[in-house]
Amino acid sequence: MKLKRGKMLVDPPASASSDIAFILIIFFLVCAAVQPETGLAQVLPKTEEKKEQREQSKNIEVSITPTSIVLNGSPLQLPEFTRRINAALQKKTRDADRIVVVKSAPNTPYPIWIRVSQVIEQAGGILTLEMESKRTITVE
Amino acid sequence: MKLPRKKLTASVPAFAMGDIGFLLLIFFVILARAQDDSHIQWQPAKLADIKMAAAPLATVAIDSGFKTYLDGKEISPDELAGALSSVLGDAPSGQRNVFLKVHKEAKASHFEPVIAAISEAGGDLVHILEPEEISTNP
Repeated sequence: MKLKRGKMLVDPPASASSDIAFILIIFFLVCAAVQPETGLAQVLPKTEEKKEQREQSKNIEVSITPTSIVLNGSPLQLPEFTRRINAALQKKTRDADRIVVVKSAPNTPYPIWIRVSQVIEQAGGILTLEMESKRTITVE
Repeated sequence: MKLPRKKLTASVPAFAMGDIGFLLLIFFVILARAQDDSHIQWQPAKLADIKMAAAPLATVAIDSGFKTYLDGKEISPDELAGALSSVLGDAPSGQRNVFLKVHKEAKASHFEPVIAAISEAGGDLVHILEPEEISTNP
């Protein structure tokens, strides 16, 4: 005849529950604080004043407005711009020739700008920003 | 007649040492990794084909009010290049990552001077963006 052994119930110590809760809080805090971020790295030449106007005019020029992208004077939409910039940069081998001068209208939204700059970088272009310099003129 | 008082000894329980060590470790991890820019209100733009970004030396943000911040502190775009240069110090190229968080409604007049300042300071620019979901509809 088999005798059944009575099961003994063991309670976890209640004093440890606050420690466990505290460690769980910290765990979730760390998870929230160190979320990995995704992004797009961009190589930009160091900012300098425009000196050689003649040299710059040889580069590919892109103007971005809220409604269109102008490549060397021709207004295009993004798919056509992608095709043309790829074709234009494919032939260029020297770094100096791969410079793409980007000029944006002041009201160009960031999502459009970042899309265009991604296309230029993926095509192998070296993005350079052309900005209008601020000058204060006092008239007496 | 004087009766000698019994000396009571108070000892720290040794089994708590593991917990204390673990908590201290987490505390320093948070201090090292988390830069407090959580108060900045911004929404990232979406873009396809983006990668995980390596840890930055500095974070520049443009919030929904189009104000500029360097590591959580408000700064004017004119002062940004100088402040960023001192943060980046003599770090070698490739380890001078600067995260740029631009609110998706910002315009070129807001973000271009900031990009120029990062470039002037010699920072390796990383735009922080949200991955765009590619629609699978035929």
